Amino acid sequence: MSALAEILFGGLFQGSLYAMMAVGLALVWTTIGVFNFSHGVFMMLGAYIAWQLVEFGLPAAVAFPIAVVVMAGVGWILQASVVRPLIGRPNIVLVVVITTLAAGSLIENGALTIWGPRSKQIPALIDGNATIGGVGVSLHQIAIIVITPLILAALWMFLNRTRLGLALRAVAQNEDASHLVGLNVTALYGLAFAIAASLAGLAGIFMGGYRFMSPVMGSDPLLKALIVVVFGGISSISGPIFAAYLIGFFEAACSYYFGLYWTPAMLFGVLILTLMVRPEGIFASRSRGLA
Amino acid sequence: MNPILTVEGITAGYGRVTVLHDISMDAGRFGNVGLFGPNGHGKTTLLRAISGLLRPKSGRILFDGQDITGLSARAIVGTGLIHVPQGNRLFPDLSIADCMALGAYSPRARPHEAENREKVIRLFPKLAERWRQRVRTLSGGERQMVSIGTALMSDPRLLILDEPTLGLAPKIKDELCASVMDISRGGVPLIVVEQDIEFLLELTQQLYLVNHGAVATEIKPGESLDHGEIMSMYFGH
Ligand SMILES: Nc1ncnc2c1ncn2[C@@H]1O[C@H](COP(=O)(O)OP(=O)(O)O)[C@@H](O)[C@H]1O
Ligand SMILES: [Mg+2]
Repeated sequence: MSALAEILFGGLFQGSLYAMMAVGLALVWTTIGVFNFSHGVFMMLGAYIAWQLVEFGLPAAVAFPIAVVVMAGVGWILQASVVRPLIGRPNIVLVVVITTLAAGSLIENGALTIWGPRSKQIPALIDGNATIGGVGVSLHQIAIIVITPLILAALWMFLNRTRLGLALRAVAQNEDASHLVGLNVTALYGLAFAIAASLAGLAGIFMGGYRFMSPVMGSDPLLKALIVVVFGGISSISGPIFAAYLIGFFEAACSYYFGLYWTPAMLFGVLILTLMVRPEGIFASRSRGLA
Repeated sequence: MNPILTVEGITAGYGRVTVLHDISMDAGRFGNVGLFGPNGHGKTTLLRAISGLLRPKSGRILFDGQDITGLSARAIVGTGLIHVPQGNRLFPDLSIADCMALGAYSPRARPHEAENREKVIRLFPKLAERWRQRVRTLSGGERQMVSIGTALMSDPRLLILDEPTLGLAPKIKDELCASVMDISRGGVPLIVVEQDIEFLLELTQQLYLVNHGAVATEIKPGESLDHGEIMSMYFGH
């Protein structure tokens, strides 16, 4: 019983964080067709901004939303400065890998300069612990498990039930046709980046509430998000969401039965097998588009 | 009548390659306008320059007296100049309903969304049957109907069609031609690029032969030529 509870809980928790990160990466890929390698840095920055606001004396309930909104602005600015000028280039995917990596490393070093290397922590969403099915868990982690699906559902509703969401899905599929129905393609690109950065920032706030923060805290989550997105299929946002939870459960089961040491190797094994059998990802249809 | 669209000496191309060489034309003086000519001579490029997808290197484009040269495609859609691109690639994973909603995206078209949707369904009843179906699952003819329907949702004051019958089976093609004639009778002026000269002669009153990125010949009403003469112009160059 407690084994199952532990795997279930660990899977849901890790899956939530992976999903939150991966969805932003997928959103940017499907709308703009580029990989954002500063996505992990967005996560870090969101956490540090939240920490700073709490330091200034703001209550977490105010500081966290402000940090998320600020991250939307950061995402927009980054898009306008290192992505938009390159759109239309034939080798845009590779060029943007480099520009976003460069921007990310700048921001990372900036964070190091401003906030120093010493580890920090931000308040948990909810303080306290509980025991479920014989497993001791923090209420912070339970909150993440509950809030993440709500946010992802809200994102899904936004993309599928609003006209602006429809416009984002359209840009993902055909840029010329989007221009010809009068969509503001540039603004939609900015919006995709802003949403992605907000979600990454929120993931950072989640993480900073149970683990020590450092300026490089985003690099491992970025790697995981890339794995999730490759595994789930890059062409939609529902694929990566399912894949995130699947990988979360897989990791939880592996580390329970084989130990933490073997988990990354087994994960990569599964990933390589998946790519050999289904290069487009397990949940992907063979097209690019948000759904 | 005054022209609704005037193209004055447009030079445009892709990168260092110039495709359009100082091309001039106008539309709306006599009715619908047809463009024809061999493939790869710049018809599509001209339409892309008109609708703002491509920024001309020089020249001027006036729509209804307003200088629209260099405006964004979105701003041009906002004036009511609507372009249906060649090849009906559209939005493959959106439904017909989604496409129609996108067609009515501009603030100009939004208030007329319901009535325009009625019009589209009256013109293309087939689309109503497949309203929630993804565009990629439709036939070529149906996709072309969605393309044109989307443009009608934008409440066009001038409608540009780039090879609307390209690649369609003869029967489907005839149906589509009839629908385009209907749109014209409904009072929307057209600029149509088409390989089918018979269709152009029936639909339009003014023809341009586009060759090497310039107008080789303009045919105005009263100078109407027969099919054979046009064919010889077509291949004579
Ligand atoms: N995106 C593009 N990039 C570079 N050259 C292009 C592009 N599109 C068209 N061309 C070139 O421009 C010329 C005119 O093409 P186009 O306007 O499509 O002709 P048409 O519509 O008359 O067949 C052709 O030589 C074509 O190869
Ligand atoms: Mg063409």
